[in-house]
Amino acid sequence: MTRDLLSPRSWSIAGRLTVLYTALVFVMLVLAMLFLFWSLKSNLEKEDHESLGDEIAVLRLILKEPRGSRISLAQEVQWEQTTGRSGNFYKRVLGAGGRVLMQTVHMGMLLPPGVFPQPPASPDSAPSHRYLFAGHGRVYLLMSARAQVGRGPRVVGLQAALDVSREEAFIANYRDRLLMVLVSGIVLSAAAGYAVARRGLRPLDRITGTVEHITASRLHARMEPARWPRELRALARAFNDMLDRLGDSFARLAQFSADLAHELRTPVNNLMGEAEVALGRARTAEEYRQVLESGLEEYARLARTIDSLLFLARADNAEMHLRRSRFDARRELDAVIEYHDAVAQEQGVELDCQGQATLDADPVLFRRAVSNLLSNALQYTPRGGRVEARLSDLGRTVVVSVRDSGCGIEARHLPHLFQRFYRADPARSNHPDGTGLGLAIVKSIMALHGGEVRIESEPGRGTLVSLDFPSSA
Amino acid sequence: MRILVIEDQAKTAAYLRKGLAEAGFVTDVADNGIDGLRLAGGAGYDLVVLDVMLPGRDGWSVIEDLRRSDCRTPVLVLTARDAVEDRVRGLELGADDYLVKPFAFSELLARVRSLLRRGPAPLVEVLQIADLEIDLRRHRAMRTGRRLDLTPKEFALLSLLARRAGDVLSRTVIAEQVWDMNFDSDTNVVDVAIRRLRRKVDDPFVLKLIHTVRGIGYVLEIRS
Repeated sequence: MTRDLLSPRSWSIAGRLTVLYTALVFVMLVLAMLFLFWSLKSNLEKEDHESLGDEIAVLRLILKEPRGSRISLAQEVQWEQTTGRSGNFYKRVLGAGGRVLMQTVHMGMLLPPGVFPQPPASPDSAPSHRYLFAGHGRVYLLMSARAQVGRGPRVVGLQAALDVSREEAFIANYRDRLLMVLVSGIVLSAAAGYAVARRGLRPLDRITGTVEHITASRLHARMEPARWPRELRALARAFNDMLDRLGDSFARLAQFSADLAHELRTPVNNLMGEAEVALGRARTAEEYRQVLESGLEEYARLARTIDSLLFLARADNAEMHLRRSRFDARRELDAVIEYHDAVAQEQGVELDCQGQATLDADPVLFRRAVSNLLSNALQYTPRGGRVEARLSDLGRTVVVSVRDSGCGIEARHLPHLFQRFYRADPARSNHPDGTGLGLAIVKSIMALHGGEVRIESEPGRGTLVSLDFPSSA
Repeated sequence: MRILVIEDQAKTAAYLRKGLAEAGFVTDVADNGIDGLRLAGGAGYDLVVLDVMLPGRDGWSVIEDLRRSDCRTPVLVLTARDAVEDRVRGLELGADDYLVKPFAFSELLARVRSLLRRGPAPLVEVLQIADLEIDLRRHRAMRTGRRLDLTPKEFALLSLLARRAGDVLSRTVIAEQVWDMNFDSDTNVVDVAIRRLRRKVDDPFVLKLIHTVRGIGYVLEIRS
């Protein structure tokens, strides 16, 4: 149960969509914010570096001047300066051994020389730098460099600092806002995503509503594919097709039950009648015997009907396992023809066989199917007629056909011939051995083999039934 | 020969007992699996006819227990379902043969007899019934010394009837034994074949040997 809940398969579609939307929004927002944050921060830092670097360059220039301009150096260094945008600049000139020669007021207290980075050795190198977090929210950008004094060999150290606390506070504030936007964006997109998904899935609820109203007696309900979104139209159509097939099956089942009741009522009626009449008054042993014998014939027919129905039911439910093997179809066909030979000779019908083929099928069912066809053909072919069985290997299928020169069947009966208990000629329905299931069994056998049965007929000319067995399973 | 019938349906049990008794077997009936198992376990029965659908404990468990207690009495199983799995299961558990309901009593009798006939039937080369003489080795049949002109299938049919002389053979058994058609079909092939055989074997002679048992099948025997 818990595992079911944890596995994504059991989540609702709306839930899945929401999670996906939210994850997507999260990733996109984070990427966008990282970019914005990084570009703002790097721009600000670049500006700070440049302006502090400029200050150092100015000091270097002043130091290179001849001595007379020293006042301007003192001015440049000692006075605290406030830039337009940012905090103050601090500058310091160090003599040999680190002695402070000159520095901006308050600088000694705020930024002692030790907190600055080590300057690069050459007076021409770019200054080294670091950030100093001084507590109380103060942040300084520090730079160290060396500078040449005049044209001589003397070199002094330069230290410059920029108070960047306001910028840092600005960046931190910007970051906090971005995080707030991120969190509210995720919450909003989750809520909106869920609402959109639910709305998008609403047709499913309506389909469920329609389906819930369908019962065996109300199979006529249909969905109108045009009313559904395109994605669901295929489902609605497939569902309608399923209903059609179900309706068809139910109708056939009902018809079949009615036929079955009729088929069983006739022999049971005969049995009851015969027995009642026999018991009506005392009779000779011979008379009783005849009643019993007649009953036995009916029982045998009933038993055969039941057997055949069971066969059909099992074949329909695909419970039957084919015992396939490869065999010489001609040999099996000859055996079946030999079986029917006596009847053919007795009726004066020529029974013939042609063709060769190898077949991959259940040999017992093959015999049964062909035997049913031959027995039908012989039954409807008059004296002097001809029944011909033919095997032809067409590559992808092996066709077994039985052609007779009998009375033929009217076209309107042809589609129904393979239905159970269907009889084209009601007058012949009293054939003593017939159960009316022979052709239905043939059709089932062919369905089990993945094959087909076809029938063509012309009244007065004869009938051709063909069994198409697929060549390889 | 004693036969135990384990069958819970009173009507079926009654006709089995009656039919088997009239065929010359001493027959007892148990109407449930527990009694049946107890009776079958005791010595004295040559054959058990067992219905699979029993109340309380079913036929499968009866066979299983019977075979586990090392009782080798042949068992003929009666089942209402001819699903292959059922047959296989029955035979695997140690049943010797099975019959699917509804079955013809003549068929049951034939199977009972063949189960009781232990070992192969003695090899006979020539069968002699009244003035009918069948040479099984040379495929020849004669009556009153005159050779009968039979097709191979007619000869097979005649020799089947003669080998089982006195037994009523159903159409199903005949179709299976002579033509190897082991399915029920709606045809009257067997009747026609018998009619043609009679024309050659019986019609020219006064003594008729092949008899119709209406509703059941055919038998070859001498009737006075």
